[in-house]
Amino acid sequence: MKTLIIEDERSLAREIKLFLEKAFYLCDSAYAAAEAKKLMIDNEYDFILLDLGLPDKDGLDLLNETKKMCPSASYIILTARGDLEDRIKGLDLGADDYLPKPFSLLELQSRMQAITRRKSGNNDPVMELGDFSIDLNKRTVYFEEKEIELSRKEFDLLSYMILHKNRPLTRLQLSEHIWGNFSDDDYDSNFIDVHIKNIRKKMGAHASVDWLQTLRGIGYKIKI
Amino acid sequence: MKLLSKLTLFITLSKLLIVVLFVLLLPSLVGYVSFQYSNYYLRQQKQKVLSEIKQNGIDYYLQGDSAYASYTMLKEEYISILPAENEMVRDTIETSKRVVGGDTLTYRILTHELTGTHKNYILEIGKTTSTIGEYNNLLQRFTLYVLIGLIALSIVVDLIYTNILIRPLTKIVKTKLLNRKFPFKEPLSPIKTSITDFQILDRSLIDLMEKIHEAFDKEREFTSNASHELMTPISILQSNVENLMMEEDISDEMQDKISAMMRTLNRLKKIVNSLLYISRIENDQFAKSDTVNVRELVTEMMEELSYRLETKSIQFSNDTSKNSYLKLVNRDLIFQLIYNLINNAIRYNKENGSIYISDKHLPDNTYQLFIKDTGIGIKEEELATIFNRFKKSGKEKGEGFGLGLSIVKSITAIHGFTIEVSSEYGKGTVFTITVPAYLPV
Repeated sequence: MKTLIIEDERSLAREIKLFLEKAFYLCDSAYAAAEAKKLMIDNEYDFILLDLGLPDKDGLDLLNETKKMCPSASYIILTARGDLEDRIKGLDLGADDYLPKPFSLLELQSRMQAITRRKSGNNDPVMELGDFSIDLNKRTVYFEEKEIELSRKEFDLLSYMILHKNRPLTRLQLSEHIWGNFSDDDYDSNFIDVHIKNIRKKMGAHASVDWLQTLRGIGYKIKI
Repeated sequence: MKLLSKLTLFITLSKLLIVVLFVLLLPSLVGYVSFQYSNYYLRQQKQKVLSEIKQNGIDYYLQGDSAYASYTMLKEEYISILPAENEMVRDTIETSKRVVGGDTLTYRILTHELTGTHKNYILEIGKTTSTIGEYNNLLQRFTLYVLIGLIALSIVVDLIYTNILIRPLTKIVKTKLLNRKFPFKEPLSPIKTSITDFQILDRSLIDLMEKIHEAFDKEREFTSNASHELMTPISILQSNVENLMMEEDISDEMQDKISAMMRTLNRLKKIVNSLLYISRIENDQFAKSDTVNVRELVTEMMEELSYRLETKSIQFSNDTSKNSYLKLVNRDLIFQLIYNLINNAIRYNKENGSIYISDKHLPDNTYQLFIKDTGIGIKEEELATIFNRFKKSGKEKGEGFGLGLSIVKSITAIHGFTIEVSSEYGKGTVFTITVPAYLPV
């Protein structure tokens, strides 16, 4: 997947690039609107990550123009402005998603994956996880043809960890994904433990759940 | 009591006092005046007699007799000239009894010694006291009527004028003080009045409110700008840390440290986010056009929070009416408002505690929503400040950033609701949200 990061904060652009490249995205960075446009003429992008506060042009205006230049790309607006009006305008102009700063890179990747899934008509392959098979489209978990009932939050949590498999995930990162930016604090993240416990209980009744590891003092990791 | 009522009362009472005083004084006053007048009258009569005697000699009266007496038909007045006895008679006026024409009557009598050629005579001129007092009653009544008429007229004039006089003040109170909502957003225009005191008062109030409004705006703007400016660096830092965490050859010890950094960063992020959220609420960035069914909203929230209730074995009852609607509100904000309150009710609850949500429509159309818990409660000295930013109960637990109730306060304020809290330390807390009657429910 080819991605263009349009972000005037160079260090942020660099971190995003570093992260996405590890997740096997090919990335270009542009620090201004003019530069971005040049890159878009020469390249075809799957994703365009757009900061609204650019030095030479308002991000929304740029979006309006580039929507014509790169119609097939998926746009995610990244902004520190975070006004509701901007959000509505951005989505009206054809952005696929909107992520207010400060955002978690994990969340960014998760949103990108959700867009890809949506655009490809929700036909992900069924995932194998230990002895279980997980259907992300139907949101179901199976053990040998037998469906295991997980609550909505539990499934959200599980699929998020699968997406970021083999990475340590903190309780905060998990709770932010589950409860959004308004999850309050440490208090909320404690409930991640409750959900994990439930997942372990429900799935562990059928087969080993060793793949779901607890990282003491940090959080959890799915290791495959 | 209103100033106008006080002034009215004062004016009326003071005039009544004058009337009462006057009524009390009137008899003696009128008595004194008629007494003085009758003395004066008697002296006048004496002068007339004296001038007659001077012109015509004393025989003009005596006609050869040794004494002279005459009285009017009804014996109101009499005159007598009698030879003087030995004793010296002064020139006096006194009240005394005399037998005139067979009747004994009380007279006001002027006595004067006339010095004749051969012997001295005593002149007495009398006027019955009953004639003196004759007009007193009539005079008193008449004076009283005139006085009452005048007083009534002056009360009316006073009241009308007072009313006109303090009308600017009433207007100032009405437009500047009553029904004014902090932070005084609506522009104010000065009141037309020629009274400088009121002009100064009005001007000062307008200035003061403008200053408050400006200060509030500045604070809001600062919060908003500062938060925005902080977002980018926090974002960079977070990305750094997240990438760092994913390095493969990191020791456990290092991982712990990174994780701690992440938590601190998260705290910073939440604080800035909450401040931004509050400034957005206060900037009226949320459209208020939704209708919310309170019961459904609470039910939805409970499903969301059910696992938290289960973890603490908290009993929950939603006793709100099926037909309670909040109109012209922002659904997300109302959700956040009730969510924060219920979340607190869970957080500060005890194991096996309970949460009770109910509502009430008062006869005057006011709507009240109660969120009651059996939690740890709030100390009385903390009650006043719990809605302030960065204040929180149960600090020792280190939970929360103290902005949850601040958000609650902002959301209620922007919708025109009021929120009150009452609590018994160690027993529980009740939050009451009141939707005033003039807002649609």
